Amino acid sequence: MPSWSDFQPYIVTGLALGGIYALSGVGLVVLYRATGVLNLAFGAVGAMGAFIAYSIIQAGNPGWLGWVVCILFSGVVTLGYGLVFGPALAGRGPLVQSVSTLGLALVLFGAIDLVWPTSGGQSPSISFPTDATAFSVSQLAVTWTNLIALALGVVIAAGTGAFLRFSKLGTAMRAMANDREITATLGVPVRRVEAAAWLGCGLLAGLAGLMLAEMSGLDDTALVFTVVISSLAAALIGRLRSISVTFVAALVIGVIHDMLTPITQLQPYADMTPFVLAAIALLIMSSGQVMTRSREEG
Amino acid sequence: MIDTAGPKATATARRGPVMDRRALTRTIVIVVLLLLALLALPPLMSAYYTSTMIQVAIYSIVTLGLGLLVGRVGLYSLGQLAVLTIGAWVGARLLFATSQPFILVMIEAGLVTMIIGSLITLPALRLRGLYLALITLMLAGGVTVVMQTLNFPNGGGGFSGYNGSQLHIPQIRRPSFAGTDPAFYRFSVIVAIVMFLLVFVHLRTRPGRAWAAIKQSEPSALAAGINTTFYKLWAMALAAFVTGVAGALLAGYQRELLSIQFPIQNSILLLAVVLVGGAFSLAGAVIAGFLQAFLPAALYNLWGVPNDWLIILFGLGVMQVLATAPGGIADQFPKDMKRLYRQISRLWRPAPPPATADGAARRIIIQETAEIHTRSVVIEEYGQARAAAEEQADLGPSRGAEGEREP
Repeated sequence: MPSWSDFQPYIVTGLALGGIYALSGVGLVVLYRATGVLNLAFGAVGAMGAFIAYSIIQAGNPGWLGWVVCILFSGVVTLGYGLVFGPALAGRGPLVQSVSTLGLALVLFGAIDLVWPTSGGQSPSISFPTDATAFSVSQLAVTWTNLIALALGVVIAAGTGAFLRFSKLGTAMRAMANDREITATLGVPVRRVEAAAWLGCGLLAGLAGLMLAEMSGLDDTALVFTVVISSLAAALIGRLRSISVTFVAALVIGVIHDMLTPITQLQPYADMTPFVLAAIALLIMSSGQVMTRSREEG
Repeated sequence: MIDTAGPKATATARRGPVMDRRALTRTIVIVVLLLLALLALPPLMSAYYTSTMIQVAIYSIVTLGLGLLVGRVGLYSLGQLAVLTIGAWVGARLLFATSQPFILVMIEAGLVTMIIGSLITLPALRLRGLYLALITLMLAGGVTVVMQTLNFPNGGGGFSGYNGSQLHIPQIRRPSFAGTDPAFYRFSVIVAIVMFLLVFVHLRTRPGRAWAAIKQSEPSALAAGINTTFYKLWAMALAAFVTGVAGALLAGYQRELLSIQFPIQNSILLLAVVLVGGAFSLAGAVIAGFLQAFLPAALYNLWGVPNDWLIILFGLGVMQVLATAPGGIADQFPKDMKRLYRQISRLWRPAPPPATADGAARRIIIQETAEIHTRSVVIEEYGQARAAAEEQADLGPSRGAEGEREP
């Protein structure tokens, strides 16, 4: 059994990873609350953005250009999908709408594999200048990238919570989560609010894709599926509703995932963490009748 | 979700004997096609296509299970490939560990898969449909992770049956009567037929009716006294069973299983082909099997098209099917063919006199609205419109117009 000091460095990386999952989870929850769509293409959009950023940086352009293009690309693609398929599938229920985003995920996944075929050897990655500079908190080395990742998670979770509670657009989104038709009759421009939610979700997807590509390399399968699965688990634990629970769950998933690294018997199963935690959460949820039934399934 | 059962049910009630004759014709066609597939195809096919067709038979069973869940019960499972993986693992392990007959091992693999699949999805079944989709997606991810570490049995000892340092890897055995590829192809087709019959019997009896009620509306099914959780679990278990059997069959076909053969994206691809092929009918499952196994192999063999293009195509297909054609190819293709036939048959007829221009326009409008309105009303409307058109133009009933009446 490894000693406590073996675990300590992984708390830092785990919190950083958890920050990214929190950011993704918040993106998923906001879109779900506003439109009733669970964007399963979240990871794929971010992955495609990250690959484009990689190509831009490889071509000799400054890093910031790649980062901005990555985030903007993800925002535009997600918004475009939302504008076309949001209205087309409105009223078909969350299930059909969410499965439809899998189509987008497949398209992007196929495109990534076509344009950037996986080659053996060193996998490509994006690096930030903040990787090199580190400082220490009680003898633990923390890079600025780690700190940025966690800070992004905190800021975006807190910011989104405040946005939904206090701003007019946020109130409209919460109203739409309750009842789309009634909100529309109250004079809320439903399409525009939905478009805003899609754009926000896309920008967050780009940010998450970029940060994960930086932290764990450009691996298309991992970027497309691991992000979605981990942040979905966090969102599920938050019942696709609560931003604060999603945030905490994401941090826990990230920390447990990385803390399993020193334990050699469990290390290969570390990627199971989100699944196991979400399954436990579902078990608890299904035993007590806590699920709200405000949305009818399609 | 467009109701596909309603109009058909009323049509059966209205013209029973006609439907019987059509059902008979359909049965004859299916039997002839199956006999062709069993007897005529094996000597004609090259080794490449024989092996491809074995996969089509196996994946038809998998898409049958998933189509049952999606189309008949309304449960979207994103982890059906994980279920197949479990079936293949159990099948391979039992084939190495025991000397039981292959068919017995297949049934055992199906049963073990059924138990595991039911246990995993049980918590999600009590929640709403979206949660089942999510938990099965995570199951897909989880099983992929486990398989990377556990690996498929390759004749080693212990629980996992995997020996990483083995130099000579023994092949997974096949049944003694189906050692060669053509023989194994025939065997796979027969297993697929049995599985289709198993599901068909379920659909025609009590569970099928319960599933249809659940799919229409879960609250009203509950109100009608149907134990919804039990019947959803039954559907899940049945799907897992046939998928587990398919897994054991796959183990026998591949003879050597590697975890990289089951990447996580294939789980989602499987749902995509089921939706594109048509989730509401058993024919859709066969089409989905061809889409999954035959199309990539044929396109690669003929023109060297990489698989990624098909992933993109199926992705677009999913979005298109969900947005406009929920019945998939199995439902849409005959409709399109009928429409095409009408278009072509119109070319051979003399141009209608100007008097019927109004009737023709109305016919098109009726055709468009047929998708939305209740069909009986449309047929009545159409009958009046056609009567009016016949009076004006004195045209006899045409064959194209007959086609219009078909629901």
